[in-house]
Amino acid sequence: MQNDKNKILQVKDLKTYFFTENGIVKAVDGVNFEVYQGETLGLVGESGCGKSITAFSIMRLLDYPGKTVGGQILFKSEDLLVKNEKQMRQIRGKDISMIFQEPMTSLNPVLTIGFQITEALEVHFKMEKTKARKRAIELLERVGIPIPEQRIYEYPHQLSGGMRQRAMIAMALSCDPVLLIADEPTTSLDVTIQAQILELMKLLLEQFSSSMIMITHDLGVIAEIADRIAVMYAGKIVEYADTRSIFYSPLHPYTFGLLTSIPRLDMDIEKLESIPGIVPDPLHFPEGCKFHPRCVFATEKCRKEEPPLAEIKKNHSVRCWHIEKVEQEAKKISFTGRLTTDG
Amino acid sequence: MDNTLVSIKKLIKYFPIKKGVFKKTIGWVKAVDDISFDIYAGETLGLVGESGCGKSTTAMTVLRLEEPTSGDILFQGKNLAKIKKSQMRKYRKDLQIIFQDPYSSLDPRMKVKHIISEGLAAHNLYNSKQRNQKVGELLDKVGIVPDYMDRFPHEFSGGQRQRIGIARALALNPKLVICDEAVSALDVSIRSQIINLFKDLQKEFNLTYLFIAHDLSVIKYISDRVAVMYLGKIVEIAPKSIFFNKTLHPYAQALVSAVPVPNPDFKKKRIILQGDVPSPANPPKGCRFHPRCSKVMDICSKEKPPLREIEKNHFVACHLY
Repeated sequence: MQNDKNKILQVKDLKTYFFTENGIVKAVDGVNFEVYQGETLGLVGESGCGKSITAFSIMRLLDYPGKTVGGQILFKSEDLLVKNEKQMRQIRGKDISMIFQEPMTSLNPVLTIGFQITEALEVHFKMEKTKARKRAIELLERVGIPIPEQRIYEYPHQLSGGMRQRAMIAMALSCDPVLLIADEPTTSLDVTIQAQILELMKLLLEQFSSSMIMITHDLGVIAEIADRIAVMYAGKIVEYADTRSIFYSPLHPYTFGLLTSIPRLDMDIEKLESIPGIVPDPLHFPEGCKFHPRCVFATEKCRKEEPPLAEIKKNHSVRCWHIEKVEQEAKKISFTGRLTTDG
Repeated sequence: MDNTLVSIKKLIKYFPIKKGVFKKTIGWVKAVDDISFDIYAGETLGLVGESGCGKSTTAMTVLRLEEPTSGDILFQGKNLAKIKKSQMRKYRKDLQIIFQDPYSSLDPRMKVKHIISEGLAAHNLYNSKQRNQKVGELLDKVGIVPDYMDRFPHEFSGGQRQRIGIARALALNPKLVICDEAVSALDVSIRSQIINLFKDLQKEFNLTYLFIAHDLSVIKYISDRVAVMYLGKIVEIAPKSIFFNKTLHPYAQALVSAVPVPNPDFKKKRIILQGDVPSPANPPKGCRFHPRCSKVMDICSKEKPPLREIEKNHFVACHLY
């Protein structure tokens, strides 16, 4: 499935820096990944690791003081970074669309739901108003909003959080995008509503045969929806592999640490492990490997030299000097749930 | 059991909905509507539910930071709901709370040592030198270098601030600590540090926790017993092992099944609830969950199911059982 032909997005050595008064923040610092036709790539990491900035860089939605200073973003073999604003506007919402975390702040509060969906259709497809409205109703129905004929005349505040996120998804899918970027789409929702939205997204991705970049900090959500995963830490990808490899045989100490430090519903855990220390300040990232101050495997080499993201096995890349040690540790632990009950 | 520390009986908290020039009350938000439960000394009771279910209002009312509309709050036999506010003061030492947001729950203009020792000062405990020593000990316990006591909250990260909040709560040697979504705002790698800290401190200081969270995985790890709330009502309470092996209430079942599990091959049958949570100002008649329940029967829309003991220590409010 993964060949160059169905590669729809390739991010090459992306560098996005923020030029602040206190210094340069290297929010995204040399990120490489690909997205293939029909797959979901998960970008996982904690706050400040650069996962959202990566998304905004792809969409070219960065504001001052943020600036993409290097790299390439190849979409359908064209570099998005050299396009001007007018060309980007034709791509945004049509070929690549985005779902944001906060449906309340990312929808326009003074425009009706219907207007916000038909707007894209009218702009990108020059669709007539009545036709666009029909399509909007159809889309709202597909995302599971009851009585869509009435809902299109309502404003965002009249909808509940879950309904707003559904409306947002309808909007993102309105122009049949090739690539969907979802930035923490379920984080602000309640668990049962999150389950509704995740099921809906899985179904719609199949129906629209779109690809997706799913950005989240929630390892449970990512296990459920992603085909492949890139784990980010301090502006860099530290591990990049298919979902099963990440969850069953992690090779980077950070991934390993994350997996052993989350409480789980599918296991009875006696004592949680934890990653010592704190998430580093982006203004003062450590020298050498960015993770070394928190890493139990760290040696002198880690403090001085930054390891490259190297392909260790087929389709499994890791940025670490001590992969063998991590692999040995990981073998001692079962990452699969012991309980396999049906619901 | 006789080791009951807190006993909540028929607790009700309604908030008035006011409208017009004269602020006439036109309705009530039934945030907490007739709940009863016990908290045993030394245990962690996990209270779980979705936003708006009344779990935080329960916490605030138990501490009398909100006045209960009616009901009893028995703390070591004393009814906190019936005493005067001025009398409440001497019980505040024993009842502490840790909030969700480590950014807004610490006064930005106070030094850490004053934040932590404020309670000690208010209760006239120790002189200022002894207080500082106590602050140092507390900071050490929660994993912060005691030399940092002269710093301000903004100099700390989110996880460290939560540690400061914990130190503040522990300063007065409380008996009950209410943790209201105390780890929800933290990053994954920091969250487990704080959860483990809670566990260690519980052992060391013999604390009792009412641990409020929306994340069932966290609840499963930390609690001894689990209570599930829905629209102002408790729908199920049971010891953890019973709850997770034999969840009975249809809402609790849906809640458990909705939690994403970090295991790509974990296949489970997910119960997808239809619709949204109704407004607590106008909750459905009968069982509050009946409009969204897949096992709804005739009786459910007519009669409120009482919370009954189905088997030993396992309480469920559902007409099915």
